[in-house]
Amino acid sequence: MKKVNMGTWILIVAVLIVGSQGFFIADETRQIIVTQFGRAVGKPIQKAGLNFLIPFIQKPNYFPKNLLEWDGDPGQIPTLDKTFIWVDTFARWRITDPLKFFETVNNPLAAHRKLDDIIDPATRNAVTSFSLLELVRNSNRKMDFREIGVNEEENTALQKLISTGRESIVGQILREASPKLAQFGIEIVDVRIKRINYVEEVLQEVYGRMIAERKQIAEKFRSEGKGEAFKIEGDKEKELKRITSEAYRTAEEVKGRADGEATRIYAQAYQRDPEFYSFLSTLKIYEESLNKDSELIMTTNGEFFKYLKKYKE
Amino acid sequence: MDQRQNFSLDDLLGMLRKKYFPNQKGLLWVLLLIVIGASTLFTSVYTIGVDEVGVIQRFGQFKRVETPGLNFKLPSFIEKLTKVKIKKIYTEEFGFRTSSSRGGSQFSSERQYLDESLMLTGDLNCAVVPWIVQYRIDDPYLFLFKVHEVVKTLRDLSEACVRQVVGDHNINEVINKRREIADEAKVLLQKSLLDAHTGITAVNVELKKTNVPGPVESSFNEVNQATQEKERLIYEAKENYNKAIPSAKGEAQKALLTADGYATERVNRAKGNVAGFVAVWEEYRKAPEITRRRLYLESMRKVVDNVGKKYIIDPEQKGLLPLLNLQPGGTK
Repeated sequence: MKKVNMGTWILIVAVLIVGSQGFFIADETRQIIVTQFGRAVGKPIQKAGLNFLIPFIQKPNYFPKNLLEWDGDPGQIPTLDKTFIWVDTFARWRITDPLKFFETVNNPLAAHRKLDDIIDPATRNAVTSFSLLELVRNSNRKMDFREIGVNEEENTALQKLISTGRESIVGQILREASPKLAQFGIEIVDVRIKRINYVEEVLQEVYGRMIAERKQIAEKFRSEGKGEAFKIEGDKEKELKRITSEAYRTAEEVKGRADGEATRIYAQAYQRDPEFYSFLSTLKIYEESLNKDSELIMTTNGEFFKYLKKYKE
Repeated sequence: MDQRQNFSLDDLLGMLRKKYFPNQKGLLWVLLLIVIGASTLFTSVYTIGVDEVGVIQRFGQFKRVETPGLNFKLPSFIEKLTKVKIKKIYTEEFGFRTSSSRGGSQFSSERQYLDESLMLTGDLNCAVVPWIVQYRIDDPYLFLFKVHEVVKTLRDLSEACVRQVVGDHNINEVINKRREIADEAKVLLQKSLLDAHTGITAVNVELKKTNVPGPVESSFNEVNQATQEKERLIYEAKENYNKAIPSAKGEAQKALLTADGYATERVNRAKGNVAGFVAVWEEYRKAPEITRRRLYLESMRKVVDNVGKKYIIDPEQKGLLPLLNLQPGGTK
């Protein structure tokens, strides 16, 4: 009884081991190539589910089926206009032909090296054949340069136009790299530029330029302020002179007209009898001008004191 | 639940040991069955929270998406469950990190992540643009199976999109038009995420405080100061203008009115004088000789009355002259 029991146990364990080796699970994210003594057998398994194989003789090899990321590092690259920049690219790729991939590359780590070898140079080629502006900009969107310190003509000069733009340049990298990677069973879905930055020395220069540009605008503002203030001051002076002189002119005109009017009135009246007017006026002057302080010497020959001498002519 | 099970298991073991003490085979079989049964039960019943869904794979193959509540599936070695929170809004930060500890200040962390936030603008200047992306898992199937490292993909795409949009704006726009840039980047990112089959959708892209890089900042502030200074100078000049002009206008008005007054006075006086003259003359004409004489004498009376010292000389008398002291004041 006991011996039979041992044998049963061994059998059960053996069946379990063989059974566990006889099937595998294909996940949604993986594709499998079954190999027999290192050689691929049958078509790659790309549909998820339970699969069977011959235990110990056949072996499943797993490859990712979903989209994978590749992060590039092409380093410093000079652009067409000789500016050194850092370009950080990334690409998304997938294994479209696992059999080819298995035969040529074998594992994702090696695949990354292949991608490095192909996409980085493609990126360098693309970057060196375009100016920085083409890489940074994607469209000729009209930028708003309106600033009080910068006038209209300068505005239009600031907006340089591009002919290609980032998206097309990236497309060019993709077109250059794609056929070379097809032989490894790899498809690149897209390549994108993640970051573009100036290298340190260029960055300092750019900062210097930005500072100079700002300083110049600041000075312009200050000077404009002064100019504007002077203009207003001038306006004030002008206005003051105008107001005072206009008032003077009008006042003199009014007074002159009145003098004229008065003269006319006097003349009109007095010319009826000029002799009588001078008689009357003279008498009035005598009355007004001779006072207590005056001394009067009169002769008896005159009209007034003639009676003092004799009462009759 | 667990305790009750253990308790009954102990009971059962004791009972079995008493009954079949020499025979261990039966006990083992019973134990095995119990273990299999319990594990099946445990891995077959599960609950899904209100904010998530359950994705079921049978032998690795995608089968169905289960909704919130109590659910059943085949045991774990056949069907596998992955819970995905589809209602939750996740946030990714770029160019800064909100530190959970109180220690690190926002500023230092901004410096630290400058490689993420420093970017080139359309006029080839540099700007520091920190931002956040809020996203939601839209399609659990795509999210789980179609893209390897979805969050990294999201981060890379987000950086690419924001930089592309910033690359089409100049430095002033980057600083002043954050809303516009964020909206544009969101549209671009949504399209990229959709094209990449990530199964996630960007709910919101928000630019935090955009700025120029540290070394340039002071010169940008200087421009603001200069703007203020300009305004100030202009206002001061206007103030002086406003101080002087209205008062000068009033003064002018006064001069004009004074002139008007003078004119009125002059004419009226003339008219008055003339009227007096004419009235006297009218009467004089009627009797010129006697009137003339009367007027003369009346005047003379007044004159002689008024004058302080009077000398009357008879021209026929000689030697009178020495009597007269011609020096004023010498005659007292």
